[in-house]
Amino acid sequence: MTQLKFLDQPPRFLFFTGKGGVGKTSLACATAITLADAGQRVLLVSTDPASNVGQVFGMTIGNKVTSITAVPGLAALEIDPQAAAQVYRDRIVNPVRGVLPDTVVKGIEEQLSGACTTEIAAFDEFTALLVDSALTTDYDHIIFDTAPTGHTIRLLQLPGAWSDFLAEGKGDASCLGPLAGLEKQRAQYKAAVDALADSQRTRLVLVARAQQATLREVARTHEELAAIGLTKQFLVINGLFPQAETAQDPLATAIFKREQNALAAIPEVLSQLPCDHILLKPFNLVGLTALRKLLVDDLPVDGENKSSHPAIPFPSLSKLTNEIAKDGCGLIMLMGKGGVGKTTLAAAIAVNLAHRGLPVHLTTSDPAAHLSETLSGAMGNLLVDRIDPHAETERYRQRVLETKGSHLDAQGRALLEEDLRSPCTEEIAVFQAFSRIIHEAGKQFVVMDTAPTGHTLLLLDATGAYHREIAKQMDPSIVHYNTPMMQLQNPKQTKILLVTLAETTPVLEAANLQADLRRAGIEPWAWIINNSVAATTAHSPLLCQRASNELADIKTVSTMYAKLYAVVPLLQEEPVGIEKLLELSRSSQ
Amino acid sequence: MTTIQIFDPALCCSSGVCGADADRELINFSADVDWAKQQGAAIERFNLAQQPMAFADNSTVKAFLERSGAEALPLVLIDGEVALAGRYPNRGELARWTGVAVEEEIEESSCCGGCC
Repeated sequence: MTQLKFLDQPPRFLFFTGKGGVGKTSLACATAITLADAGQRVLLVSTDPASNVGQVFGMTIGNKVTSITAVPGLAALEIDPQAAAQVYRDRIVNPVRGVLPDTVVKGIEEQLSGACTTEIAAFDEFTALLVDSALTTDYDHIIFDTAPTGHTIRLLQLPGAWSDFLAEGKGDASCLGPLAGLEKQRAQYKAAVDALADSQRTRLVLVARAQQATLREVARTHEELAAIGLTKQFLVINGLFPQAETAQDPLATAIFKREQNALAAIPEVLSQLPCDHILLKPFNLVGLTALRKLLVDDLPVDGENKSSHPAIPFPSLSKLTNEIAKDGCGLIMLMGKGGVGKTTLAAAIAVNLAHRGLPVHLTTSDPAAHLSETLSGAMGNLLVDRIDPHAETERYRQRVLETKGSHLDAQGRALLEEDLRSPCTEEIAVFQAFSRIIHEAGKQFVVMDTAPTGHTLLLLDATGAYHREIAKQMDPSIVHYNTPMMQLQNPKQTKILLVTLAETTPVLEAANLQADLRRAGIEPWAWIINNSVAATTAHSPLLCQRASNELADIKTVSTMYAKLYAVVPLLQEEPVGIEKLLELSRSSQ
Repeated sequence: MTTIQIFDPALCCSSGVCGADADRELINFSADVDWAKQQGAAIERFNLAQQPMAFADNSTVKAFLERSGAEALPLVLIDGEVALAGRYPNRGELARWTGVAVEEEIEESSCCGGCC
């Protein structure tokens, strides 16, 4: 067996981090089994919302430490972050339900429904596992399939964030954000954060795919966590396409080349980390036998397999663009997690609409900028511009710090600065930049590769609610009052397209985004499943396997989540330029 | 001794910067409260998003919320009686209510003569 670097003399705590769908949970499971097989006592902790750890071991696990009978020495625990956040919310809100007015209670719940709350609630759950206690003393290794973000850790490190809140049991500073509902003692959080930052005890494994966007994102995570002391980091490139699969399959060859190019151009900060490559496996990672084989790379590829997968004619993107074009104008927003191809699809839709002679304004937050450059000035009725999320966030931060932080002491200012590093801040800053363009959608098409979450809209609209009340009391024929949220809620003005991949975790993440939008009274118009192998022709056994795996996820989207949907095939080349983008939006299979 | 209670609206982070626009008034006010406390004033603050029970348990505050809604916060009580609503008190007001000597502090702190 090849010796993997991240498995070499592992410390007590191992964290796997990376975006949804890169295989963190599978890797964490395989690592846990490997260590247990070597005679270690191991606790595996999963916070994957789509946790299949129980399924993997053929037993129910849930929110309690459960011994895995099939693997001596291994125990597991599943933490559901959403459920943890709900418990946290209920603890604060339940006592006043029916006591305070319903609108007030709803407002409180919204404040506690952001991503930060979920993250802090999950951290609250596993903080006990990071300190020495009767609960953890029996284990040599504790393995987590997630890691807290830099924002959470920094917040917990700030003395200003705590004041005497936990000691006195009531708020002293104006508010302590998500920390306020935490139950445990500050000493315990401090011990947990110390354990995280201790390289003797903690190893962080960054999990990525060989894709440029993913690697860029991982590089940011690496720098952020290294800056707060998590210096012992390892990189794992998971699901790498094997060269042996490329024979006689042009798509497989293209994928292989694209991945190798991404690896060759790996961000410098990552190239210095100890790195392991794990090849894509021709089997599903379910069951003990399969997981035991994940970390073993010398599997023979079955060259005799004469499989082939014919492209399946799913509903195409052209059907969606036809519908969109009928309206003549409107706001089109593509929403989804990073790396699913929102920018490319936004460009394809914009080019398609412009090609029909309709006036279009395409605004992207594409960090690479090359897409907007290749399209600029290419068509007379297509205006392209770009918003840089980092620049917008930085401008917003500076403005708030200058105008609002000038009177604060050092502690208060540190806390304000950290608040300004929350994910919400970036979203708000970018949305404010986009808002300047949104109003153009009354006369032409405005296509954007991002959309605010329902949570952000509800928070931003907290002041809007007041204006709306006033607007209601006035004669609607005289007053034309429209907040961005009202515009997004109106299906005649706005169409939101959810973008995902045909994989379990990305589909679940998109479903969560949809639920969040619905909370804000916004109904996504359609779903786009991007980069589908099932929608294209394949011969390589690995690709055929992937195509058949996708079917269940596509079915889930079409039957459970989407009113309208389209499937966009995985392409051999990144579509650049007008012609390629037009092709993408027209390809019906 | 006079007790001042301040009932804040629901805010998700300590400075309210997650909202549409960070509230400068709120940030200044936090600093003023710290100052008044250092002078020995008895001031308590309650955040609707975190201590809603404090709102529900106080009949004055509860009635205020029922009548005017959360949009009308903050609400300031002095010894249980409504003293101010809809805005935060400035340093001068805090000093007057608690009988704290203000001295030249006011000049120094109120950047625009107390208007902000």
